[in-house]
Amino acid sequence: MGLKEDLLKLKEDAKKLIEEAKDKNSLDKIKVKFLGKKGEIKQVLKSLGKLPPEERKDIGKIANQIKEEIEGLLKDKLLYIKRIELERELKENRVDITLPSHWIETGHQHLITKTLQEIVDIFISMGFSVAEGPEIEREDYNFDMLNIPKDHPARDMQDTFFINKDGYVLRTHTSPVQIRTMLTEKPPIAIVAPGRVYRKDMDPTHTPMFHQIEGLLVDKDITYRDLKGTLQKFLQEVFGKNTRIRLRPSYFPFTEPSFEVDINCSICDGEGCRVCKGTGWLEILGSGMVDPNVFEAVGINPEEYSGFAFGLGVERIVMLKYRIPDIRLFYYGDMRFVKQF
Amino acid sequence: MKVPYSWIKEFVDIDKSAEEVVERLNETGLEATVETFGEYIPNIITVKVLSVKKHPEKDRLYICEATDGNKTYQIITGADNVKNNSIVLLAKIGANIKGITIKERKFGSYTSDGMFLSLEELGLADNNVDGVWLLPPDTPVGVDGSKLLGLGEERLIEIDITPNRGDALSIKGLAREIGAIFNKKRKDKKTDIQILNKVIPNISLETDKCYRYRGIVINNVEIKPSPLEIQLKLIKSGQKPINNVVDITNYILLQEGQPLHAFDLDKIEGKITVRNAKDGEKFLALDGNEYSLKSNDIVIADENGVIALGGIIGGETTKVDENTKNILLEAANFDYISIRKTSKRLAITTESSYRFERGVDIESLPEAENKAVKMILEFAGNNSEVIGEKDIYPKPYQPKEIKLREKTVKRIIGIDIPKEEIADILNRLEIPTETTEDGTVSKIPAFRSYDLTREIDLVEEVGRLKGFNEIEESFPSIPINTDKNISYYKFENRTRDFFIDNGINEVITYSFVGEEIYKSLNLPLPDIEITNYLTTDFRFMRDNLAVSLIQVQKENLRHQIKDIAVFEIGEAFFSDFEEIRIGILLRGNFIKGYTFNKLGKLKFSTSEKWGFLEVKGLIESYLRLLGINNVELKYSEKTYLNQYESADIFVRGFNVGYFGKIHPEVADKVEIPKDTYIGELKLKYISRKLKENSLKDGYLYTYFKLKDTPTFKELPKYPSVKRDLAFEVDDTVSVEDIFRELENSSKLVEKVSLFDIYYLDENKKSVAVSVDFRDREKSLSDEEINREVESIVNKLKEKIKGLKLRG
Repeated sequence: MGLKEDLLKLKEDAKKLIEEAKDKNSLDKIKVKFLGKKGEIKQVLKSLGKLPPEERKDIGKIANQIKEEIEGLLKDKLLYIKRIELERELKENRVDITLPSHWIETGHQHLITKTLQEIVDIFISMGFSVAEGPEIEREDYNFDMLNIPKDHPARDMQDTFFINKDGYVLRTHTSPVQIRTMLTEKPPIAIVAPGRVYRKDMDPTHTPMFHQIEGLLVDKDITYRDLKGTLQKFLQEVFGKNTRIRLRPSYFPFTEPSFEVDINCSICDGEGCRVCKGTGWLEILGSGMVDPNVFEAVGINPEEYSGFAFGLGVERIVMLKYRIPDIRLFYYGDMRFVKQF
Repeated sequence: MKVPYSWIKEFVDIDKSAEEVVERLNETGLEATVETFGEYIPNIITVKVLSVKKHPEKDRLYICEATDGNKTYQIITGADNVKNNSIVLLAKIGANIKGITIKERKFGSYTSDGMFLSLEELGLADNNVDGVWLLPPDTPVGVDGSKLLGLGEERLIEIDITPNRGDALSIKGLAREIGAIFNKKRKDKKTDIQILNKVIPNISLETDKCYRYRGIVINNVEIKPSPLEIQLKLIKSGQKPINNVVDITNYILLQEGQPLHAFDLDKIEGKITVRNAKDGEKFLALDGNEYSLKSNDIVIADENGVIALGGIIGGETTKVDENTKNILLEAANFDYISIRKTSKRLAITTESSYRFERGVDIESLPEAENKAVKMILEFAGNNSEVIGEKDIYPKPYQPKEIKLREKTVKRIIGIDIPKEEIADILNRLEIPTETTEDGTVSKIPAFRSYDLTREIDLVEEVGRLKGFNEIEESFPSIPINTDKNISYYKFENRTRDFFIDNGINEVITYSFVGEEIYKSLNLPLPDIEITNYLTTDFRFMRDNLAVSLIQVQKENLRHQIKDIAVFEIGEAFFSDFEEIRIGILLRGNFIKGYTFNKLGKLKFSTSEKWGFLEVKGLIESYLRLLGINNVELKYSEKTYLNQYESADIFVRGFNVGYFGKIHPEVADKVEIPKDTYIGELKLKYISRKLKENSLKDGYLYTYFKLKDTPTFKELPKYPSVKRDLAFEVDDTVSVEDIFRELENSSKLVEKVSLFDIYYLDENKKSVAVSVDFRDREKSLSDEEINREVESIVNKLKEKIKGLKLRG
């Protein structure tokens, strides 16, 4: 056997060993064994001097090639082993992705404020702004200036809470915000006023505290048709594009003419059910054209300006929308309820 | 008011179904519903009682024989009002009464072939029924009882009027309304009665609260049950028949809307006066109660005292009973405010007071009373005469004239309605109206004098009859909104979002609170007390949100929910102002920790619990969000907090709120965990950026701008260098003092952060901090920093007594 054959055999041996190697350590040993200073290639090359010069050159070349080839194999294998080891390590540290998370659980917004925001945002998008007023309200703002004189049966429509502060009551509606706004601002006025109101009442559909949104638009040439258009647009935003509305003439002291506004019952689709008491309609809000007496009370000339106002109970809308059977659930703060929404 | 549709039809020519009528009434402004009277019950028959005898074996039972004309029935009854010749309703074998099928039944050795019925058993009265329903003698015998009554057949229309529409509280009023809607003529015939002027009743009017008083004397009346038709109409309208005279007054009240009252004339002593009551005057009413009166009450009195409370209720002493022979029939009209006040104060609401409060037609008074007189003569007095009349009417009604301009109609409703059409609509409503140059002029009749007082009121009448629903909508052009208050609205929404995003749940609680929780929290009672509170738990208006949130926590503890994080945005109320606050209550874990043992390996994550620093962090990051970076804390003295673990929050010297741990004694008293944290922030103060308060009528109006607009600062070009320093100080030295002094000691100090505190002994602690140095002009050398540190430490030693640099 010649040197060339010896070298080729070494290459085959090395290749086999590298293939079999399982870790970096074995690779290091293989490297020493074949490529080290006392390695097998060196050993083979020791007898190189005995060869004629032209053969020497050839063998030298082959030896270098084999050396490079083995080095390449070692390098590749090392990379491979490292990757395997990393993979094993990662796998060992596998995370069970189904484990419960470890972070703050986002809180829940109350349905009432959520709905209030939705409603107010619709009116803001139409160009209304937000007005406010106190919950302990002057009796004259709450009643007299809204054309609800003392000893008028209209005062019975809302059972009032009285307090130990003369001339003040817990506001029975958000309508006094109309008065406050018109006393401080000149028309054109376009406001909505959300807030808490109080009436002496308590059963599954009434709580002594609840929420209303008041709306008021005062300008020159505001008519009933504007009232109808605005409320229709609003109710279609809240209850869906196909919502139909019905305005029934009614009575509120601070508007004339006055209207109860109904929408077609979303539960039975107008067929008549328990919720709409078989009528196919749901009463949603009260509205009307601002009564001239109210304008006069705040110093706005009713011959020059006209306007409409409306007020709606938020709880009722939320109860309809989310099918909540008992209004009192809103106010216990029971997390089993709060976290459902 | 609920009345049979057939009764209305007697007064207006209408061929529409009850449903159609009700729908149109709703559309034009009277809230109406329709229902069917009772339910058809088979096997009910009218029978005449032939004999009544006591049951020989059973106490309190009677054995009756009754006939339907062909067959005789043996009926055992417990009712003792059944007499020979009584006509009653018999439920025969097989009839189903209130879910029970009538069967042959034995009482002792006697068998009953059925059951005599009361109004209650027919479902026509609630209770308070004395025995079997005795039908009037004119009732046919042997006919189907259900058919006779109209059970399951008669349509009832119920009207729920708004306070302005007293005119619709009668058959007549409804006929007028329906006539106007469907453009049909109302049918009514003027009643003629013959009045002899034999005895003029001695009545004098001595109050200005009675606008008209008409008394009519009828002699020789015979008190007995009313004829069947009258009784049925009353029953269908929800009223109980009593006797003919009383029934007729009730009948006319329903039909004409005019309350009437019949006195037994022979029980009246001397002269009759209509006057104000004397303070403390006593009155025994028909309802059996004695009332103490006040001078605002209107009374009808004789020489012995009060015989009726005007417009509200009659008196016991002069009531019509089976022995009554001569009557004084009263028709009057009273001041609605007086009636309302008296009715409210004494808590008596009657059909009469209900109508007077809403306005009764003063002009139709004689006609309504005449109709009653005619009926009394027909049904209660074969030998009766109308022997006298007195009508006191000091200020006869003068119709007000109201002009309605076409342009006003256009301006309010938004469409052109020609004056001819306006006049037509108003005339249909029986409001006499003529056209003028620019519109119409109406003479308002008495029956609408209460609600039609202005031009605008007529606009509504025109609109509702024209049909508001049919008028097409339009969209107003709304002025562009630049209002500052939207900013506050956004501010509140942003606040809400922040707390929700940080894991805190929103609640809304009642603004009302009770005394008990205040006592438990060692707090003085709130300023605002509700004088007519619902329950003692709802007696005061809260002056802080903590009391409400503690109750939320307790409610959840009842359901074993122990970890809780809630907030509420709401008002706190004081005697001269109210302020919007956010209240928070936090307890337990806000991040839950886990430990898992798998394949011999322990994996774990830590729990994060609400503690003082966590709550502080929450509040600080909220305030930072608003652009408030400098927050100062001082130990709080809230009675319900642990004073060593709670703080009042100051921004620019203003107290904007507080937070801290519940006091352990309070926690025990109210039974909540001791590691509960509570806080409140005055949202409006904060939103106003702490500018001067503009309290108006006790209300702080808000003007808010989220952060001031910051301007750009150049990014640093040179690196910062960090040095760690540890100081030994007395325990009384606060970390904040060290920080402040460090930050003020050199302009090269960019940031100071704490990394360790530990106690060396009881009075000494070690505070370790990292200090970042940076010069914006150049890189700092080690040497420069060392020099700076030395100088800083020296400055600190001067400022803080006993401070030493460690290590």
